[in-house]
Amino acid sequence: MGSMGVPTEYYQLVAALLFTIGLIGVLVRRSALIIFMSIELMLNAVNLSFVAFSRQHGQMDGQIFVFFVMAVAAAEVAVGLAILVAIFRNRETASVDEVHLLKG
Amino acid sequence: MGEAILFTLFSLSAVAFALGMVFRRNAVHCALHLVGVLLSLSGMFVLLHAQFIAAIQILVYAGAIMVLFLFVVMLLNVKGETPLLTPGAAKGFGFFFAFIAFVELLWIVVSQGGTEGEPAPVPALPPNFGSPAEIGKILYTTWLFPFEVTSILLMIAVVGAVVLAKRKFA
Repeated sequence: MGSMGVPTEYYQLVAALLFTIGLIGVLVRRSALIIFMSIELMLNAVNLSFVAFSRQHGQMDGQIFVFFVMAVAAAEVAVGLAILVAIFRNRETASVDEVHLLKG
Repeated sequence: MGEAILFTLFSLSAVAFALGMVFRRNAVHCALHLVGVLLSLSGMFVLLHAQFIAAIQILVYAGAIMVLFLFVVMLLNVKGETPLLTPGAAKGFGFFFAFIAFVELLWIVVSQGGTEGEPAPVPALPPNFGSPAEIGKILYTTWLFPFEVTSILLMIAVVGAVVLAKRKFA
């Protein structure tokens, strides 16, 4: 006997759409800053998926995982933006196409 | 019924804001669109009985992380990129692979459903599902060790950010 509610599959569909949009952002944008924001979008899409499955299975472990994903995202943003600031100070650019020292 | 309407509203706004975030030129606009996505997702979390997660989504993500983003956007004062997207074949490949990934995800969602053609029924949940008290109970018992490891991770991140930002490059 299920209660009234939007089925989990629809939430998965929205999560898949958001993840794909984030993936497009990572693949086609040139600014490292926007690429970072797109990664945040992808992490959020996965969070939505976690929470939807958590409801479907009636277990809160999925919500705990969202909690940990947020903590890791916060750490990632702090270090990533610091790297970005360092690159910008050195090379005066935030475009990933112009940071190609290893290419020689 | 009301839940379906709210779900439609939140999902449409989330996707619209996400598209705006990826294709706007101005980085500040992109950041504000991302805040829109985060708020829409927070609404969806409430619909999914994850009230505590919805609250920290707004506090941590839309609050702390996005403020950090906006600080860096304004600190770097990046000029709008011209062209907006990466040029040449890389752009085509990017859209192509993203499309393939979307088809794969869609296929997984469709093939893992409940009975034939019908979405799996939503189970009835206990009334305190997702409340801060219940979250706290399992966070500090079952997940205590990962929780403590997270604190070390955050400390390392803070130290790393300070070291990276303060270092003088030759």
